[in-house]
Amino acid sequence: MKKLLLPLAGLLISQLLQAQNTTENNQPVQSSSSYSGQNNFAVFGNAEMTYTSNKNTKQFGDLNFKPIFLWQISEKLFVEAEPEFETGEGSLDIGLEYANMCYFVNPYLTLHAGRFLPKFGAYRGRMGEGFINRFPTDPVGFGDGGIGAMNEVGVGALGGFGIGDSKISYDVYVSNGPILLTDPENAGQFDYEGYIGNNNGKAIGGRLAVLPLSNSSLELGFSFQHKKKTGDLGSPFENVSLNMQAVDLNYYTHLTPLQSDLRLIGEWKHQKTDQVSYYKADSSLYSFTNSPSAFYGTATLRPSHVHNTFIHNLELAARYSEFKRPADAPWGGSDTHQFAISLDYWLHWNSLLKLTYQTEKDEPNLFIAQVVFGF
Amino acid sequence: MDFKIIAMKKYILLSFILVLSFISVMFLLNSCTVSQKVNDKTGTQLWGENCGRCHNAPGPGELNAVNWDIVGKHMKVRANITDAEEKKIIEYLKSTGN
Repeated sequence: MKKLLLPLAGLLISQLLQAQNTTENNQPVQSSSSYSGQNNFAVFGNAEMTYTSNKNTKQFGDLNFKPIFLWQISEKLFVEAEPEFETGEGSLDIGLEYANMCYFVNPYLTLHAGRFLPKFGAYRGRMGEGFINRFPTDPVGFGDGGIGAMNEVGVGALGGFGIGDSKISYDVYVSNGPILLTDPENAGQFDYEGYIGNNNGKAIGGRLAVLPLSNSSLELGFSFQHKKKTGDLGSPFENVSLNMQAVDLNYYTHLTPLQSDLRLIGEWKHQKTDQVSYYKADSSLYSFTNSPSAFYGTATLRPSHVHNTFIHNLELAARYSEFKRPADAPWGGSDTHQFAISLDYWLHWNSLLKLTYQTEKDEPNLFIAQVVFGF
Repeated sequence: MDFKIIAMKKYILLSFILVLSFISVMFLLNSCTVSQKVNDKTGTQLWGENCGRCHNAPGPGELNAVNWDIVGKHMKVRANITDAEEKKIIEYLKSTGN
């Protein structure tokens, strides 16, 4: 087998080197600027604050400050990092969203290592960002306690290329992956964002997206993640495996009669865990089918081609989401669904005011106002 | 011992599949080209189409030339824009900026 792998690896390296100095149209790469003696650095990010009102409480809260630090060390080397400061739980939490080192191998291949935003679906880490999400909240099943990781620690490869009128983008990664929780209150749930692994297994995941239209207005993505061993090393749960899939859609078009832009976004994701017996607090055993799923669909309409400044800065958005949870799990309960409608006002291309009314099964109706400033 | 051998064979098989996949992708890339219609697109067109896929597209005057270079790399990682798109879009954004 090794005799076969060595020539193949050699061929791969020669292919990479051949492609390294050409562009998509086989033209020599030309540097857009000189980097000698420079460490090109920039800070972007956003700040958010939310006001929430329901029949029980009225409060300011959820203050988030998320600077993004970007370094372009050379034409090939790039670092991106984002710490996060949050007050949503009633105290100041500081977290690391990502710290990712990237190496641009050639026009089609970028390698990266660190803590990164995995492309499992398109919501987390992309469509759910404060200045992209038209709502102050996440769809059910897509926020904390939902399916899939926001961050992973590991290595990966990504890229994109055109074929004919279409485009394809890909992401693959190997990461520490989800860690199975087995305590009585959380048995069968996962810590998705562990900084370190809990056994010698690793998760493999990725996303393949196709943009079939020449104007890139439609994007269809399929994501997966597999981890064969999710339990703690040496525990009876070590070999419990996990499989996740997601399908996402993003489409936008201009509606000439309304002088408006219409955007449709949606995602479905599913998770399947091996069926095993967990311990209750009284040490008795129980089991359940652990395969939650969630989906959401969003439609937005912005009259961005109307000449009146006030009107073309408005955007109307509606979202429906469902989260099917394991009925017999201690943390599961019944399925839930949520509907939200929002009227947003764009103060700048990345800054907006969101006014949202939200209903959710078994929860009080909410009015939420959020201001997001991008910088 | 048997378990270790089986695990090793699996890793070798996985490595083999990965290497084959990469080679297949490289051959695909070398043999496929974008259409003339796509190839002829200007930076302005690509800026409107690709940036607007996820968020409102910032205009050329929003940042300086060095920052646009950095943003281009960031979007290559976060949004998988192609190398050709990145170069044309950034060229457009820098053309009328600082």
